[in-house]
Amino acid sequence: MGRRAAGLALGTAALALAVTAGPAHAQVKPKKPAAAASAAAPAADYAQRFASLCAACHGANGRSDMTGTPALAGQHSFYAITQLFLFREGRRSNEAMTAVAKTLKDDDLRGFSTFIGTLPPVPPPAPATPTDNARMTKGQALAQQHKCLFCHGADLAGGQQVPRIAGQREDYLQMSLRGFKTGTRPGYTMAMTEAVSQIPIEDLDVLAYYASRFTPPAGK
Amino acid sequence: MKHVRAIAALTTLCCATLAAWAQQSPPPADEPGWAKGRPKSETAMKMAPVPAFPIPTAADQLPTKKFKLPPGFKVETYASGILDAREMRQGDKGNIFVSTLFVGNKVYALPEKAGADGKRTPKVVIDKTEQATGIEFNKGTLFFATNKKIVRYDNIEDKLDNPGEPKVLNDKLPGGSDHSWKFLRIHNDKLYYPIGAPCNICDPGEYAKIYRMNLDGSGVETIASGVRNTVGFDFDPKTGNLWFTDNGRDWFSEELPNDELNVVTQPGKQHFGYPYCHQGNVPDPEFGWGKSCDDYVKPAAFLGPHAGSLGLKFYTGKMFPAKYQGAMFIARHGPWNRTKKYADVSVAWPDGKGGARVEPFMTGFVENNSYLGRPVDFLVMKDGSLLVSDDHAGAIYRISYGK
Repeated sequence: MGRRAAGLALGTAALALAVTAGPAHAQVKPKKPAAAASAAAPAADYAQRFASLCAACHGANGRSDMTGTPALAGQHSFYAITQLFLFREGRRSNEAMTAVAKTLKDDDLRGFSTFIGTLPPVPPPAPATPTDNARMTKGQALAQQHKCLFCHGADLAGGQQVPRIAGQREDYLQMSLRGFKTGTRPGYTMAMTEAVSQIPIEDLDVLAYYASRFTPPAGK
Repeated sequence: MKHVRAIAALTTLCCATLAAWAQQSPPPADEPGWAKGRPKSETAMKMAPVPAFPIPTAADQLPTKKFKLPPGFKVETYASGILDAREMRQGDKGNIFVSTLFVGNKVYALPEKAGADGKRTPKVVIDKTEQATGIEFNKGTLFFATNKKIVRYDNIEDKLDNPGEPKVLNDKLPGGSDHSWKFLRIHNDKLYYPIGAPCNICDPGEYAKIYRMNLDGSGVETIASGVRNTVGFDFDPKTGNLWFTDNGRDWFSEELPNDELNVVTQPGKQHFGYPYCHQGNVPDPEFGWGKSCDDYVKPAAFLGPHAGSLGLKFYTGKMFPAKYQGAMFIARHGPWNRTKKYADVSVAWPDGKGGARVEPFMTGFVENNSYLGRPVDFLVMKDGSLLVSDDHAGAIYRISYGK
């Protein structure tokens, strides 16, 4: 009994340590370019092309203040290429992005997405209004309830074809979630359409609020 | 120590989850079917099915030169730039139909003869259709099945540019996402198709079966039950028996259960175990209670844990050495929910006693634990060469022997 209690206490301490170490590690982890990078497209070219073609809206570091424009900083190259593909194929529609994507060849999709995958996450600017803690608590509960963490991870950082949503712009998340629900925003797979189909709009908005302000817990 | 830590973590997670549920009124979203049974370990929580890459691998980047085959065999790139290439069937006039799964939303027709530039350029014959996966060709007709319906395009090779409206044979398929895509085979004027389990592990009801029907859609009957997800089957030319691959349940452990190679010897009367018993000897930890593995048909062979066993085709050509006559080729697409990846084309010989001997035939699909390519389906050509489709690289390879 005594041994067991000691073990549990130690376990809890170890867990606290693990929680502390986890997010810190995640933040300093260097991002690897996609394994599928094409040898034909030197990365430097796409850094320059990103600066001239994408940065005006998305920001030079992959984050901007432009309404409805998602942060690309910290996004995964696999996710990025699936979205460029959907724009190019005319499945996902956005006037500006469709126009850009239509001009891209396969190598360009690889080059841009590989470059985007190298952009480190940029934290959101301090919100204009104080954070509504009750709304955050509700958002956290909804994220648990609706299994968001199953794919996006406990740190909401995503991976592979699953986007990072922690710190994403709230207006963009709100528009995306509503789009998945109403069917105007197709995904690369059916995962999001299925996941949000039963969630009321107001709860989707709370989720957008929560994820956009989410920072991984720093431990106690 | 590790164990205790896991329990502590689980307890924390459970309580947080319960507390969250207690506060909320709307029903929780269903967890995705593939995630049912997933352990809460950090490693497992990072694993999820990975869809095909949206861009075919450039011809000069394909892994063709890295493949290894038995002595005397060689492999070449037959076609590249075929996004999401899945199942293959050949028309009477030589066209090679190629289907897709989650990404392509298309069926292509590929000419048998390469163009002046040495390339085979795909023509899109069916477009903008989700799960455009199940195809079969018979007497001028392309049979085509999505997760929702089965249709037929008659005389399609005469109108590849505009196949027109197909005739609907069965629009009562359940749809859905998990294991709902189709694999088709016609044998003695019956069309065989599966309806896979709508989840990783659950009570499947009328799902998890192989069915067949007449070529006009009438006379639907069950051929095999307890089949979780078969994505490849063929008939033994010697015995007429149906052999099929079946993908085992996920999340049991890294090494269990194996995918199964099965043979149907009594059509309509046999149950192959799912969800009660896996690989013939492992009762399911949830659904196996009160059941005995002895009550279900045992697999003819194991195909590896989480192998993603897809296409299966008996070799009926004359080009390969005599020992491959009567053998079947099996595409092991490779696992997504296993830490160590593997993928190959295997070959299996029925032993005449209900079992089979399986060995690797074509390897080299994995490098540094990442997929360079993933085999899906086969086509035996008239000259006896064997085509292999690869949905990951968006390519088709041709295996030949001698010369």
